[in-house]
Amino acid sequence: MTGGKLKNQVRTLRFLNGEMTQGDLGQKIGVTRQTIAAIEAGKYSPSLEAAFRIAAVFGKPLDEVFQWEAEG
Amino acid sequence: MPYREKIAWLSLVGMAVCYGPYFAFTHRSPLLDQPLPNLPLMALFAAAAGGNAVWTLLGRLLLRMNTPPDERGSADERDRAIDRRARGVAYYVLIGLALYVGGVMPFISTGWHIVNSMVASVVIAETVSYAAIVLGYRRGVT
Repeated sequence: MTGGKLKNQVRTLRFLNGEMTQGDLGQKIGVTRQTIAAIEAGKYSPSLEAAFRIAAVFGKPLDEVFQWEAEG
Repeated sequence: MPYREKIAWLSLVGMAVCYGPYFAFTHRSPLLDQPLPNLPLMALFAAAAGGNAVWTLLGRLLLRMNTPPDERGSADERDRAIDRRARGVAYYVLIGLALYVGGVMPFISTGWHIVNSMVASVVIAETVSYAAIVLGYRRGVT
């Protein structure tokens, strides 16, 4: 099972957390606003550490923020 | 556009503008057949390298002045991942070209042709690195 795509709910969770901006989230986990935008757009898969940090900011378990969608 | 992508574009254009004319001119120039020390050729190369340095310095200064401080901070993990991948691609390009220049050219060419080709290899590898950085930001790294 190698083919697939990492999906995420970061945009939704930001919205549910008082319309937190990409810049605010980036600042909290130590990355740039553009990197948060790239994560939301599926153009960058964050490191495990960054993924845990994002989940911690929203107070959610990792698998509620990021999901693996297998191909086929 | 991310700050580091702008820097990569700046460097990419700088390579094309400064080294492009140099290699286009010297590629089949009789300057390559001059005896040692080949000062005219070295002066041309110094002009290209100096021009590139000035272009890069001025461009970076302008970019720095026109980018908010929070967007030009230290590289984050995505910047580093893109840079790592780009350098990986450029490394193989450089190895391939160096093998050709060092292993094949001594049998089919001489002197400054080989030296200039080695310089071209470094410039090409560096250009590929910048192009791969731009592509990394455009297409993403997953």
